[in-house]
Amino acid sequence: MPIEIPKDKWPGTIHTVTLGATNGEGGTRSKTVTFGGETTMPFLQFEAPVPHKPVVAIEIKDHKPEDWSLLLAEVWGAAMTDPAEWAKAAENAGADIIVLALSVNDENGNPTTPEKAVGTVKKVLGACGLPLIVFGPGQVDLDNELLVPISEATKGERIVLGICEDKNYRTIVATAMANGHLVTARTPMDVNLSKQLNILITDMGMPADRILMDPTTGALGYGIEYGYSVMERLRLAALQGDTMTQFPMIVTPGFEAWKTKEAKVGEGVPGSWGDWKERSINWETLTAVSLIQTGADIVVLRHPESVKRVKYAIEELLMA
Amino acid sequence: MTDHKIVFKQGDNNGEPIAINLPTGTLLSEAAKQAGVEVGQPCGGQGRCGRCVVQVTQGSIRRRSVLRLTSEDVSKGFALACQSVVETDVEILVPAQEKIERRLTTDRSVADVQIPAGYDFSWSQSIRVVHLNLTPPSMEDQTDDWSRLQTAFRIQAGYNRVSCSIFVLKSIGIALRNGNWSVTAIVDVSDQESGIPVKLISLKPGISGEVEPLWSLAIDIGTTTVTVWLVDLTSGEIKARASEYNGQIARGEDVISRIVYAGKESGGEELQIKVVETINKLVVSACKRAGATPDHVYKAVIAGNSTMIHLLLGIPPSSIRFSPFITTINHPPRFTAQELGFNFHPDAVIDCLPGIASYVGADITSGVLSSGMYATDKLTLFLDVGTNGEIVLGNQDWLVGCACSAGPAFEGAGVVDGMRATEGAIEEVWVNSETFEPTIRVIGGGKPKGICGSGLISLLAELFLAGVLDKAGNVNTTLDSPRVREGDRGGEYILAWKNETATGKDITITRVDIDNLLRAKAAIYAGFSVLSEQVGVILEDAEQILIGGSFGKYINVEKAIQIGLLPDVPWERFQFLGNTSVLGTYYALLDSEARQKIKDIASNMTYIELSADNTFYEAFMSAMFLPHTDLNRFPTVKAALNRP
Amino acid sequence: MALSGIQIYKLLPQTNCKECGFPTCLAFAMKLAAKQVELSACPYVSEGSKTQLAESSAPPIRLISVKAGGLEVKAGNETVMFRHEKTFFNRPGLFVRVKSSLGVEAIKDLVTKADAYKVNYVGMDLVVDGFAVEADEEATFTEAIKAVRSATKRPLILIGNEFAIKSGLDNLSGENPLVYAANEANWEAMADIAKKYSTSLVVAGESLDDLAGLTEKLKVKGCEDLVLDLGLGHLGNRLAKSTQIRRLAIKKNFRTLGFPSITFANGHDGQDAIEAAQAIGKYSGFIVLDRFAPDLFYPLLVLRQNIYTDPQKPIQVQPGIYEINSPKADSPVLVTTNFSITYFSVANEVEGSGLPVWLLVTDAEGMSVLTAWAAGKFDSERIAKSVKEFGISDKVTKKQLVLPGHVAVLSGEVEEELPGWEIRVGPREAVDIPSFLKHAL
Repeated sequence: MPIEIPKDKWPGTIHTVTLGATNGEGGTRSKTVTFGGETTMPFLQFEAPVPHKPVVAIEIKDHKPEDWSLLLAEVWGAAMTDPAEWAKAAENAGADIIVLALSVNDENGNPTTPEKAVGTVKKVLGACGLPLIVFGPGQVDLDNELLVPISEATKGERIVLGICEDKNYRTIVATAMANGHLVTARTPMDVNLSKQLNILITDMGMPADRILMDPTTGALGYGIEYGYSVMERLRLAALQGDTMTQFPMIVTPGFEAWKTKEAKVGEGVPGSWGDWKERSINWETLTAVSLIQTGADIVVLRHPESVKRVKYAIEELLMA
Repeated sequence: MTDHKIVFKQGDNNGEPIAINLPTGTLLSEAAKQAGVEVGQPCGGQGRCGRCVVQVTQGSIRRRSVLRLTSEDVSKGFALACQSVVETDVEILVPAQEKIERRLTTDRSVADVQIPAGYDFSWSQSIRVVHLNLTPPSMEDQTDDWSRLQTAFRIQAGYNRVSCSIFVLKSIGIALRNGNWSVTAIVDVSDQESGIPVKLISLKPGISGEVEPLWSLAIDIGTTTVTVWLVDLTSGEIKARASEYNGQIARGEDVISRIVYAGKESGGEELQIKVVETINKLVVSACKRAGATPDHVYKAVIAGNSTMIHLLLGIPPSSIRFSPFITTINHPPRFTAQELGFNFHPDAVIDCLPGIASYVGADITSGVLSSGMYATDKLTLFLDVGTNGEIVLGNQDWLVGCACSAGPAFEGAGVVDGMRATEGAIEEVWVNSETFEPTIRVIGGGKPKGICGSGLISLLAELFLAGVLDKAGNVNTTLDSPRVREGDRGGEYILAWKNETATGKDITITRVDIDNLLRAKAAIYAGFSVLSEQVGVILEDAEQILIGGSFGKYINVEKAIQIGLLPDVPWERFQFLGNTSVLGTYYALLDSEARQKIKDIASNMTYIELSADNTFYEAFMSAMFLPHTDLNRFPTVKAALNRP
Repeated sequence: MALSGIQIYKLLPQTNCKECGFPTCLAFAMKLAAKQVELSACPYVSEGSKTQLAESSAPPIRLISVKAGGLEVKAGNETVMFRHEKTFFNRPGLFVRVKSSLGVEAIKDLVTKADAYKVNYVGMDLVVDGFAVEADEEATFTEAIKAVRSATKRPLILIGNEFAIKSGLDNLSGENPLVYAANEANWEAMADIAKKYSTSLVVAGESLDDLAGLTEKLKVKGCEDLVLDLGLGHLGNRLAKSTQIRRLAIKKNFRTLGFPSITFANGHDGQDAIEAAQAIGKYSGFIVLDRFAPDLFYPLLVLRQNIYTDPQKPIQVQPGIYEINSPKADSPVLVTTNFSITYFSVANEVEGSGLPVWLLVTDAEGMSVLTAWAAGKFDSERIAKSVKEFGISDKVTKKQLVLPGHVAVLSGEVEEELPGWEIRVGPREAVDIPSFLKHAL
């Protein structure tokens, strides 16, 4: 008894975005990464092929972070003390993209200077051929102070500068436009806010294929359902033809998951939580995999084992 | 606990200091109240408004909050009376109390009020005048006066049951005898068909052709303003009108503040007295102008939001504030003037119109009546913006209503240089999109003191279209203009330099002000969206948009649409009706059918509680943008933005 | 096609009799449109209207219930494709697979351990829902069932051929297990068993066409309580099939496949967690895992809890203490509500200030400070309660609590509730927090 499968035909398409530029394209990357371009809800290949698969980024810091989980310190080891080494290790662990998150202070406790930040970025670019995303430390003035020289020093590399927020986007967008980079726009788990920031950035004249949106998520157990539904709604709106939501989505399940007590610590927790390492990998992996199925195009992770599992899941999802 | 001596010195009179002894930990505001010293608390003592500031000249107090005080103020001994407690003997200097601007704008629409067509005192009115001739008593007929009077009512007027108060009862023996058993009765026949006895209000000796005039009142108790119309019942004519700030205002500017204040010890009684005093004063002044005496006022119909009605009746309003937001009463029975403390005829009928819910009260049912929306087949949107925004959608077949807490930003509150629409307020603004220089129009034509609601709407629209603000309301401080700068609270725009103002300070609009305005406009627009979505009609299909309240009178529709406050529909669909609430009470006062209609409106309107789920929140966030996140809802604004 | 509130209103008596529990017919109509109330609540609706309205309200996916020992696992009755459209109703049951070849003692050990498993998540105890007993060795099946039943009261799924299932069911009484599975070869025998023992029956087939053929035949046989096995396969394949049957049911009202589904998660190296996670998000009604381990079940149970919460509530963050910029014992404690936007704006400003702060997020039912205060959800009692509940006193030596400026009025009461604390009033707007932290504290 043949059944007619109802298929959704959507008017909208997600923008296809390429990150990084090779020698021939004005940069120094050994490869570029392209994602986006979807015309269906995630992985529904009976409706349309998946043009580009979601990719995995690994987050590294400019110096060894004090507050990361011991499990992460253990797995990255000495590489954590040198961003170049860390980037190489991340590439070996299967990252498609490196996310370099800058800190407020340097390893000696002094405020991070623009010179130092530019130096770190150049070191990472020199050590590893992957495309790069740079996140400022998250303070308006400092972000602008660091990201502008970074943007200028890496002109043509097609890196992503972050993070644009509704109260601070102008400077970052302007420098990204001037230097051929991309930006990422973060809003706190709200469909309207996300769309609004995209409008503001677009109003400045930023081309659509150079914008990523980060709708923010909570980790498993800490509000993942909000991020989950916001992302589903954004993707649905995009497919329905809302041009201001048709940007690829980047989310940071690694950051979120490793904040949780479940992932971060192994002592002083209930026995019913089970084995620490396996639990924390599951925490990060399930957060990421769930969000990939709502439409995430880039997931930023922290643990190599999670990277492996999430990449497996992506390959599996592509097989019909 | 130790008592401390607290001495108050008042800055605005040279009178003697007032002293009182109270224990450690007493709030200065409480001490002032007990000492009989007036310290204004527009926020109701919540530590929000900063208007109760006093100066401690001797002794020490403890400040719980120094909100709105600079560190310099604190070092000079300034403190918020509602947030500071006594720790030692103290001497307190109370600054001259800022007089609330007494000048109220006149109600433009009043001039157009028509007496309802076909008004006939003897038919339409529940107050009737009845002449009775009684058989005098004798040694044989020993019937008491009251029974005799009832018999006369039954036989001569057809009233089978008549009741009266003790006050009237005291007067009947004398009236009957003075009139030689001929009397003129003033009665209220409301709801007689439902078995309610006819109520004898007044009995006067004699039957004469020329009856003293019968006066009545249409009253609207607003959170901010109370309006009274004095009406000649016989002709239906409005003979005098009077408005005044609600005397409760010093105890809180919005309904929540009033509810909080009413919850304090004796706070409820105080607020009850304040509003009754306000009305009494208004009645005296209206009567004076019309040559009437308050004692000849026999009926008053009152509308107001549910909190105002509860406070008037002395009913604790606390349940209005808390989920699930239930009033004590939506359809109050009739009371007498005496019961509520009014200064008119003690047995005058006080008829408080019915409301629908905690936040959609009798002012709205009354407005729905006077706006006529209940009787049209046109899909109608009715909006009443005061300190809250109430919205009704529907037509003759159905009505839905909701309330959105828009906040008082459009009344100038919550905005640093905001003010009411009185002299010195900037009421309209134009901003040049190349130079970013403004042109302003000031009420009264003098130097500006601040910006009123219509000015704020106008300013927001102009700054947005000139590109000074982005769609999120951020000030673009990178513009080449001295008018924009980075302030302590984000970007700001200077509308008037200090040498141009009456205050000697720059008049600016800051990022925080803009956020407050955006929230207010978003709440109202979200109310529109939710109502229309929930019933399943398209907002822009509304064939007429009726705007009541003082808010609507001076705003520029085009600019209100540009900021996304009003839906983008052709301007001719908008009508500004002024105070629809008092107009509705006027109709209800004169016409029993209109009164019945209000009851029907109150029973049949479907109230939508916006906090029940997150539909409102979604709509609100969507509207927190200029003009809206979905620009397609505002085609004319879209076109204006695309214009080169 | 779903009817709007106004369209439904026109089919109602319009008398505003209030007997349905709503103040007006229109209010009731809007609730009906939102599927938040049953039409039967209206005593006066006409037969004609009933027929018209019934079509738009019958659940397109049949409700299946698996019961034992007073416990019940329900699946079906879902009405949407995406949780934000309304909500997902019946959380999928998580079952542990028990093979009969394991041997009685090992089975008892496993089941006892899994049965006793309990993990607390935001005040709720989450547990394993039941066990799927499989006759991988026919001879040991009845012993295995007895062993399982001796160790748990929870609902069961029985896996085996028709002979094993029958013998298994003969050893159980007073319960309604789920039987796995009817296929092209055995469907008649299985149908007889399902009817005789009144159990629900899983239907297995390679494709949706096969499944549809079987469910039609089983319906004719009188079996209505069916569950679909979409089969093993790649995640992409599972996603496609589960999406297709959900869509057929909900959008096309295709009753032939209007049943919940069952998923087996049996991958290695953590892949089972991923398979089960997909099943939780993408429409599965019963999920069977090959192993039991707390580090596997805890995240899955939490994920299930999260995905199946009601999305119509305001977005909230979890109440608790949030550490910003590595606070120390002498850092101030700032109080705010658990409305997400409020939390984010406060947290962002504090983070941006670079100054260490303990942010105490109070449960104000997801309302902003002013709204929550106005509605009585953010008062001195609640603030004091969260100070105590989250043990902030143990973390700080300098007991300084900063209230949002909007609730300055509460300072006195909070002071009374929290002796030993210094109560300060902070700014009203988040944007002013950095300067307050720098200058006022």
